[in-house]
Amino acid sequence: MRKTNPVRSGLLLLVLGGVVGYGIGLGIDVLVSRALNFSGSVPSAFALLLSVTAFFFGLYGYRGITRGLVWQVAGTLIGAFLITGIRAAIGRTDIFGSFFFSEPAWVFGALAGVVSFTFGVGAVDDWMKWARGIDTPEHHEDMPGWEKYFYVSLDHKVIGVQYTATALFLIAVGGTFALIFRTELAASQLQFLTTTFRLFNQTGPQLYNTLMSLHGILMIISILLGVSGIINYAVPLLLGASDMAFPRMNAFAYWVAVPASVLMLMSLVLGGFDTGWTGYPPLSARAPVGMQMFFLGVFTAGWSSILGALNVIATILRMRAKGMTAMRLPIFVWASVATSIIALTATQLIGLSFQLVMFQRLFGMGFFDAAKGGNPVLFQHLFWFYSHPAVYVFVLPGLGVISELLPVFVRKPLFGYRWIAMSSLGIALVGFVVWAHHMFTSGMNEYLRVPFMYSTLLVAVPTGVKFFSWVATIWGGKIETPTPMLFVLGAIIVFLLGGITGPPNAAIALDLHLHDTYWIVGHFHDTIFGGFVFPFFAAIYYWYPKATGRRMSEFWGKVHFWLMTPSFLVLTFGMMFIGLRGMRRRIVDYDPLLGFDSTHLILTICAFGIALSVLIFFINFFYSMTKGEKAEGNLWNSRSPEWQVPSPMPAHNYEVPFEVVGEPYDYGLPGSKYIEFLAVKSKKH
Amino acid sequence: MTHAQDKSSMLSQGVFIFVYLAVLTGLEFFVAVSFNSVALLVVVAIVKAVLVVYYYMHVYQLNAEHEGEEDSYEYKSGTNRLGLWLFLISDSFVFGGLLVMRINLLGLTRPDLNQLLGLAVTSVLLISSFFMNRGETMMHNGDRKGFLLNTAMTFLMGLGFLLGVVLLEWRLAIHEGMTPDSGPAGAAFFMMTGMHAFHVFTGLIILAIIWINGRRGLYDEKNYPIEAAAVYWHFVDVVWIFFYPALYLIGALA
Repeated sequence: MRKTNPVRSGLLLLVLGGVVGYGIGLGIDVLVSRALNFSGSVPSAFALLLSVTAFFFGLYGYRGITRGLVWQVAGTLIGAFLITGIRAAIGRTDIFGSFFFSEPAWVFGALAGVVSFTFGVGAVDDWMKWARGIDTPEHHEDMPGWEKYFYVSLDHKVIGVQYTATALFLIAVGGTFALIFRTELAASQLQFLTTTFRLFNQTGPQLYNTLMSLHGILMIISILLGVSGIINYAVPLLLGASDMAFPRMNAFAYWVAVPASVLMLMSLVLGGFDTGWTGYPPLSARAPVGMQMFFLGVFTAGWSSILGALNVIATILRMRAKGMTAMRLPIFVWASVATSIIALTATQLIGLSFQLVMFQRLFGMGFFDAAKGGNPVLFQHLFWFYSHPAVYVFVLPGLGVISELLPVFVRKPLFGYRWIAMSSLGIALVGFVVWAHHMFTSGMNEYLRVPFMYSTLLVAVPTGVKFFSWVATIWGGKIETPTPMLFVLGAIIVFLLGGITGPPNAAIALDLHLHDTYWIVGHFHDTIFGGFVFPFFAAIYYWYPKATGRRMSEFWGKVHFWLMTPSFLVLTFGMMFIGLRGMRRRIVDYDPLLGFDSTHLILTICAFGIALSVLIFFINFFYSMTKGEKAEGNLWNSRSPEWQVPSPMPAHNYEVPFEVVGEPYDYGLPGSKYIEFLAVKSKKH
Repeated sequence: MTHAQDKSSMLSQGVFIFVYLAVLTGLEFFVAVSFNSVALLVVVAIVKAVLVVYYYMHVYQLNAEHEGEEDSYEYKSGTNRLGLWLFLISDSFVFGGLLVMRINLLGLTRPDLNQLLGLAVTSVLLISSFFMNRGETMMHNGDRKGFLLNTAMTFLMGLGFLLGVVLLEWRLAIHEGMTPDSGPAGAAFFMMTGMHAFHVFTGLIILAIIWINGRRGLYDEKNYPIEAAAVYWHFVDVVWIFFYPALYLIGALA
């Protein structure tokens, strides 16, 4: 039994590691550049790496995630010094760059760091054994209590929680960045991010650009992780499987996202980048080293997404319970299939487009450099071929959660099951042929515009199917409104707003005006909040008792909802309002004569309202783990198989396998049955 | 399933397919040097790819009936097979993206490369696929010695291809003035061959692993790893079936 509080010693070491790392970095900086620069990048980079590592050391000791982080730091330094040594050996004069290491050294070091992390944390141990011809057991026993969450576990439920927790952490970081630049935007003129302000080698406006870009990409990665979190936790339970099809790859897919997150934070301190999350060349070909860390971080997070999606498809195709035919699959599983098809294939293209820019910077290969015969618009095509379908990766699981939870809380069958199932696939497939609607103003070939306009408008059809089904499901139901249902209803309303503000952007003539304004910012925040954030919270409130055996506080859950929803609606309405009147996005300052000052002030207040509500959620989340009301039975009175067994779920899921004997969503129909547990005991794994 | 068929017929099928592939490659080269029809080159490449995907990579096994419990090795191998194919689908989007890049940047022109060397490395890679298929079939028939010999041949020819591209072809190109930073042709050439060479390199590591484990007596019963290595190796070959015409044959010299 440990005497000291692990969290306290972790925080103590966090501060200590930060100070020591800053000192080391400052010393190196002085040695190389012969000048004392307190706001330089090198001290911050060392402080970041050491403090994060030291925090987990204090929390957890030298094992699991700490070992991975130590290996990542070591791998980064060894890789960087290796390249530096090679550059010195071949007689280059620019051995060091403006961020101590040269750019190639940082890139190679960061890649080596990611690979080292996966080895250090132990995510590839079994594969290494298999390569040497050694067999390993199918499952590993997990440690009891909270410690298993910081260690490589093969249990899909543990991995699901790990994904969700990491997603929540990144949401907190990305949200904090948003608060910082939202505060600067509250009034025209520069208040604190001024041109004389220096941090991480960046002036105030540069830091604004970096924070704005990082807000975008951190939220995107946190959404990808959050989506993986719900899917990982729920899909095997809904299917009646004992685990995912490839448990080791599942663990690898999660753990590779951790060093990716570290790289994202590295990009902040290594000079940042000012391109926004889209990283368009030629600007991204010139930005500081932070740009490369961003590219590499997204690239690495992409592995996570691809391997996770592969696993989901294989699990759904191969591990369903007896009698679970395609048209008896839970609707959330259909959404997972649709989202995984996109993540599996299209993700490669963002990886490729970023890799090409990285190589353009490292080796001078002129893919997107017009001076060398390259084509910058090509980047946008490759990039948006993923990044448009990516928004369906974000929203499809959320829409699946809405369809999954709605019948439970209105006690009525889901209206038009087949149509909903097929509309998910429809959105996914149409999503592949709409990417160029992001490029109406890019100067691409004119004849491409109209087809892409029509294909984009077509997305409204399967999405509309979902809305009609939800409304028809609610119609005449016995509506209960516990917290998850509130978030489901909020999601429907917010996503509707996001949906109907979409077609105007697809119309070319309007888009020429709306492009790059706050209208677009309001539109996509509506879609992402409605399609992901609200359903994500609904899913957490809904499945939290399944994971912990306790429920989150209803009262504070309702406070969370009633604070977040109006703040958010005012925020996005305000954004669209000033966007229509010409407020450009991605700028640190605006002309006071535009008369947007008061609106911006309201937007900032609303942003803080959302932040407060999420803070309440976090406190509720952690408090309820130990102090929440016990909820071990079928809390929501659901027909779904995972609620027919006691909570929390046993390690290998269902002790007794079940067979599907009826339709999944026949709530309120007398005598209807979805599953039946088989009499025989299953074999222990 | 392979077990159900005559053992020698599988081997002779491998030979026939290889002969078809060789003839088609010759035809491809002839088309390119005589009247250079892009459409015809694309058709030939697709036919070659389909032959490899069907007869060497056994794509039809995805559809096979799997006997046994969910815990059985057969069922799990079926799941692994599906996982591998999903990975290959995903990976082919990278190569598809590279082809798009090449078409966008170069259009109907091609870089000035050494044609004989190109034909030579292409042939070496195709022949290595033939040996890979032979090795896999022999292991299915219980012939460990034949498996080891043929896998070693595959490895050596794969290594020959890798060195042929990276050491000879790259050096020749740089010597001719086509460096990675010289222009779109150089960028496309080095990126495409480099990405493919990276996959060949990983394939060589996998081949080495199954060769060493096979020599130590593994894979008597549980021989899915051999199939997986073979399918991956053939996939790398399929990629080159498209990259070879895209880089060497299609269009006029820039």
